[in-house]
Amino acid sequence: MKYDYYDLIVAGTGFSSTFFLKKYLEKNKSGKRILVLECGQLFKHAERLKVKRGEHSDFSGANDSWENKIINKNKEKLWPFTTGFGGSSNCWWGCTPRFMPSDFKTKTLFGIENDWPVTYEQLDPYYYEAEELMSISGPEETPFPRKGKYPLPPHHFSAVDKILHQKYGNQYISQPTARASRAVNGRNACMARSACDTCAVNAKFTIENSNINVYENEQIELVYGAQVYSLETVGNVAKKVNYVKDGKDFQISGEVIVLGTNPIFNSNILLNSGDKNPLTGKGFGEQLGMQVLIYLDQMNNTGGSTWVNANGYMLYDGDHRKDFASCLIEVNNAPYNIRLERGKWLNMASFRMIFEDLPLAENYITTSANKLIPEIHYKGRSDYAIKGVENMKKVLPGILSCLPVEKLKYLDPFPNEGHILGGTRMGLTAADSVVDKNMVHHQYRNVFVLGSGAFTTFTASNPTLTLAALSLFSADHSF
Amino acid sequence: MAGIGTGLLILPPALYLASPSVWKYAVKLIREELNYLKLEPAGLDEFVRDYFKTSSNNAIINLRWKTFYYLGFNKDKSNQIFELIKFYLLSTDFFIHKMDESKMVSYLGLYSPYKSSVPNPFSFVLYPPAD
Repeated sequence: MKYDYYDLIVAGTGFSSTFFLKKYLEKNKSGKRILVLECGQLFKHAERLKVKRGEHSDFSGANDSWENKIINKNKEKLWPFTTGFGGSSNCWWGCTPRFMPSDFKTKTLFGIENDWPVTYEQLDPYYYEAEELMSISGPEETPFPRKGKYPLPPHHFSAVDKILHQKYGNQYISQPTARASRAVNGRNACMARSACDTCAVNAKFTIENSNINVYENEQIELVYGAQVYSLETVGNVAKKVNYVKDGKDFQISGEVIVLGTNPIFNSNILLNSGDKNPLTGKGFGEQLGMQVLIYLDQMNNTGGSTWVNANGYMLYDGDHRKDFASCLIEVNNAPYNIRLERGKWLNMASFRMIFEDLPLAENYITTSANKLIPEIHYKGRSDYAIKGVENMKKVLPGILSCLPVEKLKYLDPFPNEGHILGGTRMGLTAADSVVDKNMVHHQYRNVFVLGSGAFTTFTASNPTLTLAALSLFSADHSF
Repeated sequence: MAGIGTGLLILPPALYLASPSVWKYAVKLIREELNYLKLEPAGLDEFVRDYFKTSSNNAIINLRWKTFYYLGFNKDKSNQIFELIKFYLLSTDFFIHKMDESKMVSYLGLYSPYKSSVPNPFSFVLYPPAD
């Protein structure tokens, strides 16, 4: 380390940390000592592509897989994530719809869980900023309040999309996405290859290709291979960060601590630090996703220009949310679901139905005997989400009646949705939350706990854009 | 041998001893399912070799494909046959030729979103917008 004391110590280099630092550096242009501790190594996109192509890469063993980083007590439920520079920006699929305003007020509107301490209106300017930074492609009309054009034009509709958009208007839109519709800022245009975890053409936004230029800032010292596992606190102040590097324990002092690892490890760090908030680590989970294959009669569903070509909001909002979960329709444009009947090969649409779920207390994260490895306890889904699925199956045929549908085939729910939510929820007081609206810990007032762990509820919408906007919001209001 | 398909299947010993190479079963299955298409023969053989390359020494896999053939399994009965045929079509120029049945179907290399010429048969690359 260059110094023995830092103004800001950040754990992690994923979305939440990077967008937080982006705003922090705008407000602190010089003279700060900033230490960033990244658990993994830099595994560049070019090297990831080699692995995907079946070629050798010297870096393929650089970072442990997620299965080795946690103790998963329920093997049927998966929690994939990426360690290393850029965190899960290296495995996300680039879906960036905003939340709906109602997602922040589920208690007031529907009597469900708690309201967020931040509103859509308060987050709105930071949504725009995050969308600019990621060069989001999207439509002019959206179901969530938004004025003006997205940074890039929307992707092209498929044949099915055109019909559904004509019927449902702004309730069925080209998905706002970080998979570029045009070449931009050093990224290619999406080619709809539909393997977005590692984009074959580098069209998808990642921290590595972002050109946000945070980690190049001269105030930042970035250390790889350093896993933060706890904080040393004195009273209600975190004084030091404890981490392991090269098998040895280290400690470093800091004024402000920022936890930007994923929710699993943020919870682990706090629990290892002696955090006694009964909600820390609790109410962890993600949305429920399931696929429905729509067999079409004499209609090729061609022309889509990206992986998730559209989002449908026909099952999303309304009074039904008092009784069962909201559902976001993700319209997938992928080669996997061709038909093998003569003349009908492309007569297929594939929708992923994503349901909000509740932060149940029986789903939680704890520490283990190994301070670096948290335990995940996941019992199952809420009745609220299951009822959402039941309702969907009743009403979907009617919603799709404008299409020439031969039949619908529902596949089993997926073991994961690729999102990790909850565990350090935000709220007004320590009685019902872990962090406040700026994601500052209610007890440790110099500790930020960023990311989707801070979500008060688990909306059906994808989390990344919102967690990035929250990081911008937090840094802007805190410094 | 347990683990084949969804249950335990017992093959007559004579069948097992007299069976030709497993790859030939896969080729036969594809030809039968796609009998209305002109499949370039050498390419089909090469596809099957590539497809089974990582599992050709696996006794369970070998027996599974023999079983499929002799018991008349097809794509509707077996997800593995479905996957095999799907992979074959995605690995050829069939979709590049817009599913034209009059054209010979030629193997281009095992399907991969990272290597294939047009890895998504639905996409705008093949069906650009009218404007």
